[in-house]
Amino acid sequence: MNVLTLFARNLLRGPVTDPYPFGPTVTQKRFRGRIEFDAASCEGCKLCERVCPSGAIKFSKDPNGLAFDCWHATCVFCGTCAFYCPTGSIRQTNDWSLAHVAADKYRMVEHGLIPNQTCVECGATTLDTAPMQSGVKPPLTAEDVATLRPLCPKCRAKFMKNRKAKK
Amino acid sequence: MSTQTALLISVLLFPGGLFALAFGLALKGADRRFAARLQGRVGPPLAQPLFDLVKLGFKRTMVPLTATNDTIFLAVPLVGLAAMLHAAAMIPIAGVTATSPALGNLLVLVYLLAIPGVVLMVAGSVSGSTYGAIGFSREMALMLAYEGPIVLVVAAVALRTGMAEGQVVTFSLAEIVRHQQVHGANLFDPVLWPAFLAFVFFYPANLGIVPFDIPEAETEVLEGPLVEYSGPALGLFKMMSAVKAVVVLGLGLALFFPVAPSGPLGLVVWAVEMLVLMLLGVTAVRVGIGRMRIDQAFAFFLKWPLLAAVASLAVVVVA
Amino acid sequence: MNILTNLKTIASRSPWLYRINAGSCNGCDVELATTALIPRWDVERLGCQYCGSPRHADIVLITGPLTRHVRDAALRLYEEIPDPKVTVAVGVCPISGGIFRESYATCAPIDQYFPVDVNIPGCPPRPQAILDGVAKAIAIWRERL
Repeated sequence: MNVLTLFARNLLRGPVTDPYPFGPTVTQKRFRGRIEFDAASCEGCKLCERVCPSGAIKFSKDPNGLAFDCWHATCVFCGTCAFYCPTGSIRQTNDWSLAHVAADKYRMVEHGLIPNQTCVECGATTLDTAPMQSGVKPPLTAEDVATLRPLCPKCRAKFMKNRKAKK
Repeated sequence: MSTQTALLISVLLFPGGLFALAFGLALKGADRRFAARLQGRVGPPLAQPLFDLVKLGFKRTMVPLTATNDTIFLAVPLVGLAAMLHAAAMIPIAGVTATSPALGNLLVLVYLLAIPGVVLMVAGSVSGSTYGAIGFSREMALMLAYEGPIVLVVAAVALRTGMAEGQVVTFSLAEIVRHQQVHGANLFDPVLWPAFLAFVFFYPANLGIVPFDIPEAETEVLEGPLVEYSGPALGLFKMMSAVKAVVVLGLGLALFFPVAPSGPLGLVVWAVEMLVLMLLGVTAVRVGIGRMRIDQAFAFFLKWPLLAAVASLAVVVVA
Repeated sequence: MNILTNLKTIASRSPWLYRINAGSCNGCDVELATTALIPRWDVERLGCQYCGSPRHADIVLITGPLTRHVRDAALRLYEEIPDPKVTVAVGVCPISGGIFRESYATCAPIDQYFPVDVNIPGCPPRPQAILDGVAKAIAIWRERL
């Protein structure tokens, strides 16, 4: 376009500058931002830790259960963890406002805890994870999920074998 | 009041000194804001050049180890600013002030206009840095290119006015302005149109705006001659460049279009004319055009502006 | 003193930015250029301006995990910038190494070499996040003037 028509257009239309930080701004819905973790729906499969390219996600054994930590200062916001998560308990929000002073560097962590529980059948200490649902045919009903949840992995396997034998 | 006091006031307060500095900073602020609006952005506040100067006052001037002479390194911006303040005192504001003959005439003004260029060159070479050296050589090439046209333009206008007034030539700015106020502006004199064209090509090179801001190209030579300056010394350079804008644009107005009513209204009209010249002639040009290379600029100046200036001189002598 | 405080407030409205690319992939550098130059995210509203020479800088933006090749040059360049200055690490690479964290060629996190003041995570950070970080840096710089 001719530079003079460009000038005229810019002068007549006014500035197109986004008002941030002096006013509100628009963020796209699918923008890949900060990670959010929901411990209640996590299966404990640790796929996210395996596929994370920068090693930002770390699971660690805590006296109270399984701790989830995602350090945002090394996360590259690729979304691979959310892509591979079978239950969608780790997901990306569209929050980009992570700028912080250097003293807060190690506090930019998304922390979660899958608590310990006692198995109602055998009494072993186990994690309160969601039951694994991928590849189960026919799919688990809500009652199956409610029955499986308070069981330890050995008892869950027994239940699933019985369920397959019944069908 | 005695001539010395009058001279001191004109150099330090009005029209040189504080007035020229304040007006120059205002012009620069308007330039940055208008450039942003032309590009569709919001842009900095109008007083931004003043904020820049205050900030530079808080930083520390570091003299590099490679500087060949520390005294020259620190004295060079002072020389440039002093020359520009003196030159600003000489600019006649049509209808308001006339250049006092004790300050000098048009020839002195041309010499003073050359000083900032030389100051930049010396700053570049005394820094002892490679980028400074490149800036120094480019500034030298550019000065060689544009000094020819401006001298010839000044000579053409002086000859024309002189011959019309009955003398051979007059280098007094006051007389040139007075002649135009009586006989009409030089802008409407067809004989001086090539001179006006040469001046139009000269002032972007002198003011260091795109397409001729080669010596101070930020992205190419890390600011060229100013690469090692910081703090108040850099602030002095910014002040020099602000006053230079007033001087060069004021000179253009005085040589070609010094029409204004007298009294305070004349001052306002002059300020508005300068603002319009700045916005249309400097900002719109620097936003719309890309930067030339030094060899392109050098070749360009040795062709059209020089030809135009020589043609103007020839026509004035013959007509 | 009151005048001094007022002058410092005025001076803090003109922070000049200088960018050091310490081995970056240029993603963050492109975002920095975007924040400065394009009409949509104008950083000049805050009074900022990119300067070409390190001697003119007030806020230093460092991108990239400090690769071994560039480490000495970046350290020397950092010394050239006059005080008072504020250091901002742009992107996750300078903060922790980002995706290059376990590489033999990087020396991240850079706060072992530079006194970093503000971190802006993101790969690359959104222009609004960069503006956020620059605004925080200006607030810190105001204290140091």
